[in-house]
Amino acid sequence: MAAAVRLAEKGYDVAIIERKEELGGILDQCIHDGFGTKIFGTALSGPEFAGSFMERVEKLGISVRLNAYVKSVDAGGGIKKITTVSPEGVDVIKTKSIIYAIGCRERHQFEIKMGGTRPAGVYTAGMVQRLVNLYGILPGRNILIVGGGDVGMIVARHLHLEGAESIMVVFPEEFFAGLPRNAQQCILDFGIPYRPRTIVKEIVGRERVEGAVLVRVDERWNPIPGTEEFYPCDTVVLSVGLIPYAKKLADLGAEIDPRTRGPAVNEFFETTVSGVFAAGNLVQIFDYVDDAVESAYLAAEGVEKFLRGDAKLEKRIIVKAGENVRSLTPHRIEWEDEKPVVAFLRPALEGRAWITVSDGDGQLLKKFFRQYVRPSTLERVEIPREILQDADEVVIDVRGL
Amino acid sequence: MSEVYEFLCIRCPKGCRLRVVVDGDDIAVTGYECLEGKKYGEEEVRNPKRMVTSTVRILGAKYPRLPVRTAEPVPKDRILDVIAALRGVVVRAPVRRGQVIVENVAGTGVDVIAERDMEAVG
Ligand SMILES: Cc1cc2nc3c(=O)[nH]c(=O)nc-3n(C[C@H](O)[C@H](O)[C@H](O)COP(=O)(O)OP(=O)(O)OC[C@H]3O[C@@H](n4cnc5c(N)ncnc54)[C@H](O)[C@@H]3O)c2cc1C
Ligand code: SF4
Repeated sequence: MAAAVRLAEKGYDVAIIERKEELGGILDQCIHDGFGTKIFGTALSGPEFAGSFMERVEKLGISVRLNAYVKSVDAGGGIKKITTVSPEGVDVIKTKSIIYAIGCRERHQFEIKMGGTRPAGVYTAGMVQRLVNLYGILPGRNILIVGGGDVGMIVARHLHLEGAESIMVVFPEEFFAGLPRNAQQCILDFGIPYRPRTIVKEIVGRERVEGAVLVRVDERWNPIPGTEEFYPCDTVVLSVGLIPYAKKLADLGAEIDPRTRGPAVNEFFETTVSGVFAAGNLVQIFDYVDDAVESAYLAAEGVEKFLRGDAKLEKRIIVKAGENVRSLTPHRIEWEDEKPVVAFLRPALEGRAWITVSDGDGQLLKKFFRQYVRPSTLERVEIPREILQDADEVVIDVRGL
Repeated sequence: MSEVYEFLCIRCPKGCRLRVVVDGDDIAVTGYECLEGKKYGEEEVRNPKRMVTSTVRILGAKYPRLPVRTAEPVPKDRILDVIAALRGVVVRAPVRRGQVIVENVAGTGVDVIAERDMEAVG
């Protein structure tokens, strides 16, 4: 919606294709407050944030196709063909440029080496959020939440307030990985029990979950033998990470970055397929919706540059992640432009730090001070173009202080 | 008689563990790493407030629940009263975003409002 609004405001003919029956993506189930603090200066709820964009989409008269699933895209030539499937049938839409913004999926138990049976009662946090917030259904009474990130904590608070009998949160870190604000206001405010340095070894139960075998882990997350303990519960909620839903783009031939697990993009979020852009959680998991929206605005600017045929740099600049960076966008700088390059990065270390920008020879070009960085908080920096002039390569890294 | 509070500073991702001792008008904060934390510690014991978000039953809409929130943050010790007051509330679609669903919820002086539009269906 953000990308469509920006392009429609510039006068382009835009359509939004959405597989669900309404716009807004995952925001409709995120009923807690905390959205839009950067854009609106006040903390809205997810539905409110989405609602404000829906209003703009409507006002601008943007064409919206709901219940339409993008099945395939032919991005070979100048004109791209999008095949959609909807209750009305199969449709082909022709366009000059595409912005993909199809979000992410949740990791499930088989991706985190969790053993045991496959009984009913195992959910992802997103599924539980939908059940509770849209349908008013509690998935169970005695609930074990696996994962101490923001999503896990927010779901714990919903379940607590909506009447779960017991909740336990386990995670392998020393303390909750999510924001302190959520640790305090979702968990500590209500005295919800939690166990750090603990993971689920096995889920137990035949038909329905009967409990889980918990095991303590050391600092490197290796299970400590002999510390296994049975924890009785009827529901296990997994909140163990989000992964960009990049398969569609890979099918198109776009290069996928093994770190972000999303498409490799330039500074205007163009993938390696010319004229195909990507934005939001599909590119990198954005903790804040405001940053996801910024990525969409940048992609919209990129589409405009592409359609106008703006000049690209004679030689593109490769952007590399240093050893203390877990994931980073953009992957390359390609366009001529005045505005600084916006980079988003996830640090691999925790503490007071400099975020550094160096050239390929290791010479420092710029550094940004941070009072406190940590892996669970995505960092944003603006790199002035002047300092990049002679570089073929820049390395962005984080150095502890 | 002094009272002791322990909580996390939420002003930056570090999350310092603050300990605040309140003795009459005296407030002593320890555990902060910068002055933001000291300020936050003082504010948080004087008047801790939270936004409460939940859902109420809605009839004639595409989902059975309507997300709602307090229009303003309410005192932290009233969260459970607000949740209790929302139990049993039933509204009928259509509803508009920002519409007042419960006035002066649980006597807090704060209204509960709808978080989204919900059209009437069927
Ligand atoms: C539990 C949770 C809590 C959060 N809390 C906060 C918070 O407090 N504050 C904050 O700022 N941010 C928060 N975020 C982050 C923020 O919500 C996201 O960064 C943002 O909403 C991502 O938007 P998106 O458009 O990239 O993805 P999505 O919202 O996932 O949208 C993707 C859309 O693409 C559609 N789609 C997928 N495949 C197809 C297809 N083939 N054809 C057609 N359509 C398709 C989907 O139906 C969906 O509507 C939270 C996220 C989660 C999960
Ligand atoms: S006291 Fe300062 S450093 Fe510590 S969490 Fe608060 S703002 Fe951050």
